[in-house]
Amino acid sequence: MNYQVMDGEIPRRRFLELGFKGSLAVAATPALIAQLLSCSPKGAAKSPMAVDPGLLDKVIRKALAQGGEFGEVYLENRISRSILLEEGKFKSAVFGLSQGAGVRVISGVKTGYAYSDEISEEKLLRAAEVAGTIAKGAGATTQAAAVKASQLPSFVTVKLPLADIADEKRLEIMQRAHQAALDFDPKIKMVTIDYYDEIRGRTIANSEGLWLTDELPLLFFIVQTLGTGNGTSHMGRERLSAHAGFEMFDGGAAETAARNCARESVVMLEAKDAPAGKLDIVMQNGWGGVLVHEAVGHPLEADNIAKEIGVFTGKLGQTVASPLFTMVDDGSLPNFRGTTNFDDEGTPMKRNVLIQDGVLLKYMSDVLSAKQLKMERTGNGRRESFRYLPIPRMTNTFIEKGKDNPADILASTKSGLYVQSLSGGSVNPIDGVFNFTCREAYLIEDGKKTVPVKGATLIGNCLDVIRNIDAVGNDLDFGPGICGKGQEAEVTAGQPTVRIRGINVGGTRAGR
Amino acid sequence: MDHKALAEQLVQRCLKKGADAAEVYVESNRELSLEVRNGEIETVQEAASAGAGIRVLIGGRLAFASVNDLRETTLEDAIGRAVGFAKITTADPDHVLPEDPTTVEVAGLYDPDIAVTPLDRKIELIKAVEIAAMKDFRITKSAGSAYGEGESEVFIANSTGLLKTYRASGCSFGVSVVAEKGEQKASGGEYCGRRFFADLKTPEEVAEKAARNAYEMLDPKKVKTQKAAIIFDRDVAGTLLAGILSAINGERVLQGASFLGGKLNQKIASDLLTVTDDGLRPKGPASAPFDGEGVTTQTRVIVEAGVLKGFLYNTIIGKKAGVKSTGNASRGGFTSLPGIGPHNFTMSAGAAKPEDIIKATKSGLLLKEVTGYGINPVNGQFSGGASGFWIENGKIAFPVIGLTIAGTAGEMFNGIDMVADDVDLNRGLAAPTFRIKLMQIGGE
Repeated sequence: MNYQVMDGEIPRRRFLELGFKGSLAVAATPALIAQLLSCSPKGAAKSPMAVDPGLLDKVIRKALAQGGEFGEVYLENRISRSILLEEGKFKSAVFGLSQGAGVRVISGVKTGYAYSDEISEEKLLRAAEVAGTIAKGAGATTQAAAVKASQLPSFVTVKLPLADIADEKRLEIMQRAHQAALDFDPKIKMVTIDYYDEIRGRTIANSEGLWLTDELPLLFFIVQTLGTGNGTSHMGRERLSAHAGFEMFDGGAAETAARNCARESVVMLEAKDAPAGKLDIVMQNGWGGVLVHEAVGHPLEADNIAKEIGVFTGKLGQTVASPLFTMVDDGSLPNFRGTTNFDDEGTPMKRNVLIQDGVLLKYMSDVLSAKQLKMERTGNGRRESFRYLPIPRMTNTFIEKGKDNPADILASTKSGLYVQSLSGGSVNPIDGVFNFTCREAYLIEDGKKTVPVKGATLIGNCLDVIRNIDAVGNDLDFGPGICGKGQEAEVTAGQPTVRIRGINVGGTRAGR
Repeated sequence: MDHKALAEQLVQRCLKKGADAAEVYVESNRELSLEVRNGEIETVQEAASAGAGIRVLIGGRLAFASVNDLRETTLEDAIGRAVGFAKITTADPDHVLPEDPTTVEVAGLYDPDIAVTPLDRKIELIKAVEIAAMKDFRITKSAGSAYGEGESEVFIANSTGLLKTYRASGCSFGVSVVAEKGEQKASGGEYCGRRFFADLKTPEEVAEKAARNAYEMLDPKKVKTQKAAIIFDRDVAGTLLAGILSAINGERVLQGASFLGGKLNQKIASDLLTVTDDGLRPKGPASAPFDGEGVTTQTRVIVEAGVLKGFLYNTIIGKKAGVKSTGNASRGGFTSLPGIGPHNFTMSAGAAKPEDIIKATKSGLLLKEVTGYGINPVNGQFSGGASGFWIENGKIAFPVIGLTIAGTAGEMFNGIDMVADDVDLNRGLAAPTFRIKLMQIGGE
């Protein structure tokens, strides 16, 4: 069992969903799932839906007719565009229209789920009946409260709605980024720009009387550049993403991302062999937060805690990390990629401090795990689409900023590895062994960043790594990514510059 | 309307709306998944769905729209979106659809018994696998067992007159458990996936392997950073195949973004490495009579005794490269444009027994798990996290976790010096156990 996170690739989801490919036992198929996770572009949606509250009540009542304590109906529509610019050509333009609904019943620790691509009374009631069979024989039925419309604060503000943007504007932004990357250096031989946007509408209603509706935009812009020279090649990657309108591109953001990407491609052509074995690591601020996303975040998701198999099981209130270490998951950061107004079960987003000054305070829960653990709902019940059950997932997860000056952290590190950016990584949430792969890294010699080294894997145990953090900078920053846990979620990972003592580095050169 | 008629009719409607060429891919699916933990059903999920992907070409400009609602108004909307979107893309004379009237039969893709096997029987299967996996005293917790099944029917129609269909099914089950000893935790799992329900392994066989994968990793020891032999167990041998696979993607090759790009008909590996791509194998997990755009699949040798013999192409990339499609258009369902991907991608078995390879290894790592991104397709660099067993004097000495391994694709391919006979053809990426004589290992 491994959960993983990536910094790039337009989400590739379909392969997991269907038929032979999708029907494999998730719990037991690490190798295969990893293989399945790298498949094909995503699809998605349809115009907004008007829903009759009487129908929602009827479906929820039907869902609980055979027993069970919690019934829910989730409706979704998604309309997406993806455009590919590569080798100077707009090679393809893809439109996705998708809609569907899922009905869930919880009875004790059991969950029944059924979904339908067609949203009609007949199909919803049929899904309710199928989902409800899980509760057969459970005894007394629960009286569902009638749904009542409610409103929650919005953490997403939009200045330039995607629906008002002409396609020419999208092409222009892509072209500007493409040119900026090519102009950066003649060693850049190819540029790929993946543009993706979507509008996703959700309606959630449940037997507690909840009824929420919203519609959120999402932008994902990925630049890849191929640098060639010095007898080798390097593919760089940089990305922008937010739940926002087209103002995300204000101030030349796309061109800046493209130039950063090109810079990485060129610098890494000079990379030397990375060292192998235990080294001290200084991690630059930003997406490096994927370290704690993997190493600590996944093990703090409450599903494996409720199963009493997670590495942090039974450790609430205990000191689990260095006193310098505070970690937060906050799905309410304005317009972030991991932000929504409420999770996919309707729980409002908020700031959750998971570990404070080294002490474990909280797990991240969904409705089911909160019930099992008798803890609060933290707003982490998320799902990729109506085809999936919600499960505990991270949102925007980061190491809180500390007091150290980043330059001092580097200067006080005699030798080691300076990790400027990472691609992504994975973790086994049971034994806590994680890994992540360097995208851009340098040797540290006498407190200075010196030569770049080839992409090495870093590996360790989550409990060791958070005990061995001995410096935390004051320069918190973030990066967007895709997190996979049998289904995909949009996330942000963040951290200030930190130093970790003694991580195993997978280089090709023995010794320091 | 039946999906065959629908696909044909939608092609005609695209042409009427102004497309020069059009292709419609209609897929319908049914799926079921079950999870059991501690002897109780935890989740039951069921669904059926259908959708269409519409690809249009207008003056060499390419666009696509997908929709999961086959009602008239939605389909009309999707056609309009696809045709409209084609205005913004770049014209390219290589943008063509395949003409391929040939057909081939592949045996054993669809099992009608899966759907009619009673639900209780499937639940019993995963209850049984969980109980069996918990038998060993070192196994303390269950992370759950699961069963999944699916079946799908695909229709592809295009404006060259191509019209093809096939049906496929599959089912799988597995279990994941935890072994504990003091503060130590080790997890292990195993699964079995097949086209036919009757071909599934027994729960005992799957359970035994899952339990062993967990408890064997208790009491690991440390090893020093060093260069040593690495034996890739067949469970991880696909790591090497995945590295070849991403580098033989014909589009990458054309773009100069593959470390194998200039190596056609050259020696890239040890004589012991032979790799085939086979779309036709009966009951193969990645078999299909035609690819994601309707081109008949074939059996091809990709690497023959260490010599690189070919790349993978779909129709458009093939045309750019001046070759015919190799039947390798991949499709992740109706929501995506065809990409490039393999069918059953297999490294040929050797003559040795896996235990002979261990016996012949004085000191080294028997690799059971690799993490990370695998071989970089652009420059061939490899680095990963590793766990498995340390071998001393031809015997398994103790488990090791938290290691790193690294090298280059060239060193790895050429370093293969022993290949076992244990390839499992029920996997899409299948390789036997093999040894690489020397690689960098990172430890203490």
